[in-house]
Amino acid sequence: MMLAAFADPVFDSQRTFRELLQAMARPAVPRRLPVLPPSPAPVMPEAMAIVLTLCDATTTLWLQQPNAEVAEHLRFHAGLRLADQVQQADFALIDDPTSMPALEGFARGDLRYPDRSASLIVQVEGFRTDRGPRFAGPGIRHTEMLAIEGLQDGFWRQRAALSAQLPLGVDLYFVAAQHVVAMPRTTRLLEG
Amino acid sequence: MYVAVKGGEQAIARSLELLAEARRGDRAVPELELAQIREQLRLGVARVMQEGSLYDEELAALAIRQAAGDMLEAIFLLRAYRTTLPRFGYTRPLNTAAMRVRRRVSGTFKDIPGGQVLGPTYDYTQRLLEFDTVPITEVQPADAALPAHMPRVLDLLDAEALIERIDPGSDPEPMDLTREPLTFPADRATRLQNLARGDEGFLLGMAYSTQRGYAENHPFAGEIRMGEVDVVICPDELGFPIEIGSITLTECQMINQFHGGNGTPPQFTRGYGLSMGEGERKAMSMALVDRALRCDELAEASHAPAQNQEFVLSHSDSVEASGFVQHLKLPHYVDFQAELSLLRTLAAQYAADADEQPGSIAGGAQA
Amino acid sequence: MTPRYNFAFLDEDTKRMLRRALLKAVAIPGYQVPFGSREMPLPYGWGTGGIQVTAALLGPDDVLKVIDQGADDTTNAVNIRRFFSRVAGIATTEHTTDATLIQTRHRIPETSLREDQILIFQVPEPEPLRTLEPREAETRTLHALADYGLMHVKLYEDIAQYGHIATSYDYPVLVDGRFLTSPSPIPKFDNPKLDRSPALMLFGAGREKRLYAIPPYTSVESLAFDDHPFELQRWDHQCALCGSGDSYLDEVVVDDHGARMFVCSDTDYCSGRRVEAQA
Repeated sequence: MMLAAFADPVFDSQRTFRELLQAMARPAVPRRLPVLPPSPAPVMPEAMAIVLTLCDATTTLWLQQPNAEVAEHLRFHAGLRLADQVQQADFALIDDPTSMPALEGFARGDLRYPDRSASLIVQVEGFRTDRGPRFAGPGIRHTEMLAIEGLQDGFWRQRAALSAQLPLGVDLYFVAAQHVVAMPRTTRLLEG
Repeated sequence: MYVAVKGGEQAIARSLELLAEARRGDRAVPELELAQIREQLRLGVARVMQEGSLYDEELAALAIRQAAGDMLEAIFLLRAYRTTLPRFGYTRPLNTAAMRVRRRVSGTFKDIPGGQVLGPTYDYTQRLLEFDTVPITEVQPADAALPAHMPRVLDLLDAEALIERIDPGSDPEPMDLTREPLTFPADRATRLQNLARGDEGFLLGMAYSTQRGYAENHPFAGEIRMGEVDVVICPDELGFPIEIGSITLTECQMINQFHGGNGTPPQFTRGYGLSMGEGERKAMSMALVDRALRCDELAEASHAPAQNQEFVLSHSDSVEASGFVQHLKLPHYVDFQAELSLLRTLAAQYAADADEQPGSIAGGAQA
Repeated sequence: MTPRYNFAFLDEDTKRMLRRALLKAVAIPGYQVPFGSREMPLPYGWGTGGIQVTAALLGPDDVLKVIDQGADDTTNAVNIRRFFSRVAGIATTEHTTDATLIQTRHRIPETSLREDQILIFQVPEPEPLRTLEPREAETRTLHALADYGLMHVKLYEDIAQYGHIATSYDYPVLVDGRFLTSPSPIPKFDNPKLDRSPALMLFGAGREKRLYAIPPYTSVESLAFDDHPFELQRWDHQCALCGSGDSYLDEVVVDDHGARMFVCSDTDYCSGRRVEAQA
């Protein structure tokens, strides 16, 4: 049986969007997602909330693990198209970050239109704000401390390498335990 | 004593009352019915539908009445309504070759298969004001019914390979200009969408300029046809096409001389115009401007305003243009204040500099 | 509420399109994101960009403030506020501190904004280079290359001719050290409020179909030269109503002989000070 989506599409997506907007404006700070819609495994409800808020028939989504039930759910509720290739995806849903493709493979925009770049929704194990590396950049007053659990080794190295191409880049939404952390391309991980 | 200006809300409310009264006019005169506008002002209705990008005669009539006959305001009303409508699907391309023609003329051949058909046109009315009500004469039945199928004049040239061939199957899926922003360079499908929504007066002026040497178009009116065309959709859940109605269209295909270039042999080239309802002036203007905008593709010298796609496409839309020109009546006193104090500084400096230079007429010290 | 329209007028597809564009705008500070601007029931040039941004953000719990020239009671501000009360049934306010969303034309409120507030600017011309280079294809390339020589030359020519930079409003800024950005036609008096603001700032240009953003705590530098630093406009007057000596003042002609007085452009700030003074 098909699962439901947002109970109140207009206001649930509005409330979710406002959290996403604040998350993107204030990177590396976990924000609680207000609505968690039903979601077929392995997609977490947190990730589904973002997909339902931002995706529709005009966007493409790349699924790390193609899955008929998920595909049908997304087609029915969001009318969205799945992308076969990572570089064609407007959005990508990563359910296993330890085996995710290289960040370089996603659309990073072009210099005249850097916005034509992918947004990645990455399901992780959890966030810690009492330890971990520090981040800085637009949206961050001084620095923010954040550990993101469940990423593959070398993830941050890959991302730092990409930052040489700014303003090209990919933007990330990490989700875990009812929270979202956004990490636009401009956020820097501070060494040491 | 100065009191801060208050009461914007009340002022707007009073203004709306005055507007309603002015729009209605003398109440002794009966209010216009939508059917009267639709039936008796059909060319105005057509223009509002065309530039409003919505084929709905009833709503266009309503917009014209609400706008007191201001066509640009009516177009704006219709657009603002259209923008809120959900998208159920897209129609198949309209087949204008299968048009049930009511008017069809060509400036290129004296006679053509299917004949020249004047239809209802103002072309030969002599423009004498009809001071007295003219009795309506019944339309005489035609000697012979118009042929059901009229070949397009340009297809006749096509058979001789004298006109550029455009394979409709090779076109990329067009973008929807009402959902996506215009970016440059814009392809031909995008340009045509923009021109189709463009202000008739603007396009007319641009088209006229191409005839006066501002672009080398050398146009001939290959064919202008007006009539009814079926609208067909093919819903996913059905899997086969169904006809959902028919609409009136005016199509203009201009034929333009071309001496060859950019790997293309000498041949006639096309300029295309299409308009909802009877919109011949619009369709012809559009076809001329379309052809002028193809200068890069055909490696023609590009020096005229009508060939500059950024210039034409960015300024063709009456809703955009009207809004921005008229926004100047909004308060700008913050910026004006900033300019005022800048100008005072500059003027004071100018006077001081002039004072330092003996003999300067601007000094004023000798006065 | 007008029942025939969706909440906040726009349909959900349009809101999603706007929301995606806004998130990209925040992710690339100062960069102009093209978006599928819709015809709004207010004319282009009258705040349609700001209105679309506000409509994409607005929820039933929001409290909206709309100002034009700093004032809540100018007719266009009243009309936009009226529009949102009608199509979204939300609460509105004239008090800067009570608002969650503030839509503005030509000013930034004098009262400092907080982290939980969002400022939405109406933008007539988003391209700071437009008056120097009318072709969009060209200006996009200049931004791609971060080639802002044209603007520096223009400002330098001002200095050569007038002795200082002759731009008093819509004074260009460099956001996060990368994109040259129009702050919209705010007086340059307001430019310092853009730098490292606690509040998120969103910019909507409806007619030109562009959105951009300045995230909180982001460096916003008004262009200047070492020997000609950015200078603020100052008045020899104080506000005739509240006595403020550090707010932006409007000049008002008070009689037929051209007598002038100066009053705060920010009406909420001014009335707040007067209430305080009486207390």
